[in-house]
Amino acid sequence: MGNAVLEVNELTTKYITRFGENIYAVDHVSLKVEEGKSLGIAGESGCGKSTLALSLMGYYFPPLYYTSGQIIIDGQNISGMDPDEVRKAILGKEIAYIPQSAMNALNPTQRIINFIEDVIEAHKPYATKKEIYDQAKSLFEVLGLPAEVLNKYPVELSGGMKQRTVIAISVILSPQILIADEPSSALDVTSQKMVIKMLRNLMDSGLIKSMIFITHELPLLYNVTDDIMVMYAGQIVEKAGAHEMVFTPIHPYSQGLMGSIMVPESGLRDKKLTAIPGVPPNLKNPPSGCRFAERCKYVMPECRVTSIPLRDAGGGRAYRCILPKEFLMEAYERERGER
Amino acid sequence: MKGYRNYFANKLIWFGITLVAAFVLNFFLPRLMPGNPVAAIVARLAQGMSNTAGVQAIYEQYAKLFGTDKTMLEQFFLYVRNVFRGDFGYSFSQYPRTVADVIRASIWWTIFLQFPAIIVGWVLGNTLGAMAAYRKGGFDKVLLPVSIFVSSLPAFGMAVILLVIFGVTLKWLPTSGGYGYDLIPNLSWSFIWSVIVHYQLPFWSIVLITIGGQAIGMRSMAIYELNADYVKYSRFMGIKDGKIVRYVFRNAMLPQVTGLALAVGTMVGGALVAEIIFSYPGLGSTILTAVLGQDYPLISATTLIVTIMVLIANFVIEIIYGFLDPRIKAAQAD
Repeated sequence: MGNAVLEVNELTTKYITRFGENIYAVDHVSLKVEEGKSLGIAGESGCGKSTLALSLMGYYFPPLYYTSGQIIIDGQNISGMDPDEVRKAILGKEIAYIPQSAMNALNPTQRIINFIEDVIEAHKPYATKKEIYDQAKSLFEVLGLPAEVLNKYPVELSGGMKQRTVIAISVILSPQILIADEPSSALDVTSQKMVIKMLRNLMDSGLIKSMIFITHELPLLYNVTDDIMVMYAGQIVEKAGAHEMVFTPIHPYSQGLMGSIMVPESGLRDKKLTAIPGVPPNLKNPPSGCRFAERCKYVMPECRVTSIPLRDAGGGRAYRCILPKEFLMEAYERERGER
Repeated sequence: MKGYRNYFANKLIWFGITLVAAFVLNFFLPRLMPGNPVAAIVARLAQGMSNTAGVQAIYEQYAKLFGTDKTMLEQFFLYVRNVFRGDFGYSFSQYPRTVADVIRASIWWTIFLQFPAIIVGWVLGNTLGAMAAYRKGGFDKVLLPVSIFVSSLPAFGMAVILLVIFGVTLKWLPTSGGYGYDLIPNLSWSFIWSVIVHYQLPFWSIVLITIGGQAIGMRSMAIYELNADYVKYSRFMGIKDGKIVRYVFRNAMLPQVTGLALAVGTMVGGALVAEIIFSYPGLGSTILTAVLGQDYPLISATTLIVTIMVLIANFVIEIIYGFLDPRIKAAQAD
């Protein structure tokens, strides 16, 4: 067991709508990321992936609110801290974020270097402009970005370059952990590859200790992360190593997700793609039992009665279903054989 | 940089063409109105005269003086030559005053009324709009409908409402003129005080309307910017809220700059209604008397001023924008 960089216990956060309704988009989520490891979070749109990313920052602004649970970064519980303290001591320095559409993540009327100055000044008020410029320049050189970028406006950069610039800015204060929310989904394949390479490079060179990677593109997770977590309707439905998750998913939802993708690996080639019928439940009033029950092909009456806890499946795996894992795994194997 | 220069060279050429076209229209349009202004002047002078030959002689003398005895085309070329010499000729309706004289006497009233009113309205409107976007809640719920109401009022409606309330009913402020009718312009305290008092109603009628429109525009721009991705990212990089608010309002301000420049450019035309209702001695009232009296040279000269101001304002916006927004500068250089 390595040293946990980020540990989250039973974190629950909610959105409060204009009409005062509570929507628990992250519901009792626990996770742990060890030093040198990366965790992938998968799920379809609206399952709470991005909200989880926002919630992990420990810094909330409307309409998202903290409800309960702990976020422990490097042994320090940040969920009870004063927001201004979190802003100064945690954001960017301990935990950094790469937004979903990094394309628009930079202020269009500000040069890159001026934004970097603002970022560093927010944490180190006494840094001089010269020091900041030198620091930024050497970081950009390490990451293989041209130093001219610093004096440009975002509009003068290409999409891929903008994304890589955002990543570089995110790690400028050497955070322990980086949370990347679909950092490559808006890019073409070539730029995507460069971004992924850059993220891997950050881990390998020790600029960041660990990473959480959120995406709906499962093949990407398989290639990038050590572990994968599948979310459904604000809850974790399965946790496993990346290889196990892709080849032997347990939870019916994970099975559906994995069955709906093309992985160019031997053994999965030439398989037909299947879709999961239906849509995720409305989280304004989530079902009392299993949240996947409506779409599950193995659904039984007791599924709809009580909420299902996350069950340990051995080997560091866990899943949220009342059926035994052997049954589910066998059913998946059989189905794949038939297809 | 070369593309940027070409862009402005291109713009300048277009502004030049626009100016020439407007200049020609400014000359011909008023003269196409039916009616004979010289006859009207002569009729006024000849009141009580029974000598037809004498009246005829006076008419011919005036027609010669004003140049109306020549063909329209000849008049036009004379006008062009004179304008290049800086001579706009005599005002028909206020003869023997020259056009330059009439404009010189009225333009400062307009500038001192309009310019501060537009600036004050713009600054107040943008501040209120920005506050409504940022603070939301009750403040926003009150400000938005009030702004919509105020900005939907036509300019004369606002002027008349203020006039009735503060001028007629409450009798706090004078209802017309730029200064007391019994005073002669000088630098005495009583005159300056009179100017200040007469200034209030036209000033606030313009300010209030400007506030409404600007507040609505700023509010929606600021809401849009507050939800932009860079706001979220900047927050998560630990940047202070105060600084992020500065980013947002700077960016939300950009379209508002256009509004300001256009308002300044159309100042004279915009002044018309407020000046007429309050009988303010500015350029707006001058245009009205010029049109009513078919005072061709005065109409042409005042409308030329409006044209030039609008063109200058547009050109200045283009340049300022390039400095304020790198996106526009990049587009201009393309």
